[in-house]
Amino acid sequence: MSEGLLSVRDLRVGFATEGGAVRAVDGVSFDLAPGEVLAIVGESGSGKSVTAQTILGLTRSPNARIEGSVRLGETELLGADEATMRGVRGNRVAMIFQDPMTSFNPVHRIGAQIVEAIRAHRGEVSKQEARQRAIELLDSVGIPDPRRRVDSYPHELSGGMRQRAMIAMALALEPEVLIADEPTTALDVTVQAQILRLLGRLNRERGLATILITHDFGVVAEVADRVLVMHEGEIVERGSLDDVFYSPADPYTRALLGAVVRLDQAPPLRAAREAESLLEVRELVKHYPARGGLLRRGADPVRAVDGVGFELRRGETLGLVGESGSGKSTLCRAVLGLIEPTAGSVRFEGCEIAGLSRRRMRPLRREMQMVFQDPYASLNPRRRAGQIVAEPLRLQGEAGGGELRGRALELLGRVGLGAEHYDRFPHELSGGQRQRVGIARALALRPKLIVADEPVSALDVSIRAQILDLLAELQGDFGLTYLFVAHDIGVVRHVSDRIAVMHEGRIVEIGPADEVCERPRDAYTEELLAAVPVPDPRLARERRQNVGLE
Amino acid sequence: MGRFVVRRLAGMIAVLFAVSVLTFLIFNVIPSSDPAERMAGKNATPQLVASITEEWGFDESLPQQYLTMMKKIFSGEVISYEGREDVDERILEGIGPTFSLCIGAAVLWMFFGVLFGYLSATRAGGLLDRVLTIVAVAGISMPVFLIGEILLVYLTYKTGLLPSGGYVEFAESPLEWAEHLILPWVTLAIVYVGIYSRVLRSNMLDAMNEDYVRTARAKGLSERRVMSRHVMRNSLVPIVTLFGLDFGALLGGAIVVEAIFSLNGIGEYAYISLINTDLPPIMAITLFGAFFVVLFNTLVDVAYAYLDPRVKLGESAR
Repeated sequence: MSEGLLSVRDLRVGFATEGGAVRAVDGVSFDLAPGEVLAIVGESGSGKSVTAQTILGLTRSPNARIEGSVRLGETELLGADEATMRGVRGNRVAMIFQDPMTSFNPVHRIGAQIVEAIRAHRGEVSKQEARQRAIELLDSVGIPDPRRRVDSYPHELSGGMRQRAMIAMALALEPEVLIADEPTTALDVTVQAQILRLLGRLNRERGLATILITHDFGVVAEVADRVLVMHEGEIVERGSLDDVFYSPADPYTRALLGAVVRLDQAPPLRAAREAESLLEVRELVKHYPARGGLLRRGADPVRAVDGVGFELRRGETLGLVGESGSGKSTLCRAVLGLIEPTAGSVRFEGCEIAGLSRRRMRPLRREMQMVFQDPYASLNPRRRAGQIVAEPLRLQGEAGGGELRGRALELLGRVGLGAEHYDRFPHELSGGQRQRVGIARALALRPKLIVADEPVSALDVSIRAQILDLLAELQGDFGLTYLFVAHDIGVVRHVSDRIAVMHEGRIVEIGPADEVCERPRDAYTEELLAAVPVPDPRLARERRQNVGLE
Repeated sequence: MGRFVVRRLAGMIAVLFAVSVLTFLIFNVIPSSDPAERMAGKNATPQLVASITEEWGFDESLPQQYLTMMKKIFSGEVISYEGREDVDERILEGIGPTFSLCIGAAVLWMFFGVLFGYLSATRAGGLLDRVLTIVAVAGISMPVFLIGEILLVYLTYKTGLLPSGGYVEFAESPLEWAEHLILPWVTLAIVYVGIYSRVLRSNMLDAMNEDYVRTARAKGLSERRVMSRHVMRNSLVPIVTLFGLDFGALLGGAIVVEAIFSLNGIGEYAYISLINTDLPPIMAITLFGAFFVVLFNTLVDVAYAYLDPRVKLGESAR
């Protein structure tokens, strides 16, 4: 551990808060060798991002207490003055972040932001030269038409292009170390695969030492050489990729790996359902008028949902998979009668709900409920868990007074929460507990159909499995029918009887879950499946060789 | 862009129409004595009142009276009830002092508002921030007439440093023009400096937590450059909106400040006309003011599209 390019020794970061000191990073040591990819894996709050930011001196809170040592070559970075740190940032150690949309300044052109990075360290480079360099960089990360793109604003690029541009900016000064903090988490899975390939290529071609921060074992298996697992501020496991995956020593690592929902492992067979149909969607179309501009008059409408039909049988789970912009959410809203479809029909228990008035829709609302992606944003922060769960009962006049409390407690019990959670506010609950409250609220009126829109994608891996189990258990107990929407086909396969794949407003493939995942008929489905990272290093290598990438 | 401006112009006509009708109606329902009686003076004979009523058309239907008045306002023939002066000419005379006051005050308040906001935000929680916060809140809380009177007492009556009021044309003597306007400028600017510095401070503090600011630091930019190019630039967008609205509204007359310092501008004319319930100037000034409010609203939207490339003109932004 002496040949390190970057060596971190006994790093401790504490934050003074109202509730006392919080140790975010607690004695972390590691070395980064030239040319290697070191993955730091952990769940939210494990301290992995704080570690990364502290290396570059970006942990700026006045309440932070930082101890230990971070050496880059001969330079000690902890406690170094601003001028030294500025010379390191972007120049010797560059960083890319999770969300390329918010990480670029929206009001400056991409090129200008790259030029700025170059000229911050090489004052002698003229603006023209820097711009030329920016074009070359954009070209080298695979951005088509870089001469034009250099003058684009961030919002004019797609998510994947933005992250490529971010990487180009990070490479501008040929740094020795790249720190990538969840670089693909905000991206669609097919785009994620491209970005991971790009990072792998840069590592091989330029020998760029990389610290990859992620929560996703699939991503780790695809690109890392060595792995650190962090938990509550400490490194609980360290080793080569294969060691950590195939013979983990620490119980937490084992639990984490066990909780990963894998696409390539068939879930236990579910009983076939021959029940009658609950929901029938036919030829559903939802177009949004194109936004008017001077030159775009009479432009085609946005075809969010463009002729979709499917049937949902009582008691089954239909998984709806698709990338962002595929029309999943619009479809859900139309199914729930929250938006008026442009054309087509939605029949719930034989009753047409498309175009139903708000008043006539009301009694049907109790039959269909929704569970949302972000449990924090979808719970009123000023109401207690019990009140949130009881609200639908109160609004529909189901119960009142003392009975209301009893019913709410019962519901909380059903989702694994106790009486002690009744009086808590959403911010006093953990992410998993919040999602449980959201599910209890959806259950309150004993609905027949639950539309779950990305119910686990905001949750940590270990919590994810618990919530999926809870949903499965409740389905059996209450005879629920699920429309389960997610971008992660692995999760969808785990819970669904059948899977529908959406792409550009249409369902390109629908069928039994195993069939869609094992023998996809549609080219897009195949692409989607191939892009999902496998949390299994050997398989990942095999796959890479099969496609001839190495 | 072209289409956007055309649509905004059409909207402007609608707004001006609505504002003028409302003003006209309000004047006609408030319990003020008949304008003809007031014009005829004390102890006037009924015959005189009747002849004035007929001459001025007060016996006609309200829509007819409205149309006549609007026609006169736009052809420059409108005469006030009180003093029978040419209203449009009087407003044109008032443009000099009012615009001088507003433009000068706006320069002051933008400069100091942005400066104080920047200093507060970059030193948030520090001593300077606290001092500036107290100053800003005091400026916002104090009524304009109080600020004006305090300045007058100390800078004019006790020390004789500055003139107590009145207006001198710029063309006549630039020095005296400025001398007469210093107190009005400061008085008007103080409130806005307070508001603008507070708004900029909170915008900047929000912007400092943005991911792109972290990116800027990670690139190795100097703190000053991070602040000026990434934090300030993005925080100024809402300030521009605020400025457009405030400035547009003031061009229609800064009533209180003009009255304190007898600048004889549009605001003071509005004040006198309101006291006399003198409809023709009230109508004309209201239209004049509304015109600038709408105009600056449009300019703000154009500026927005320039400052924030995500905003497209004609689309419902945000």
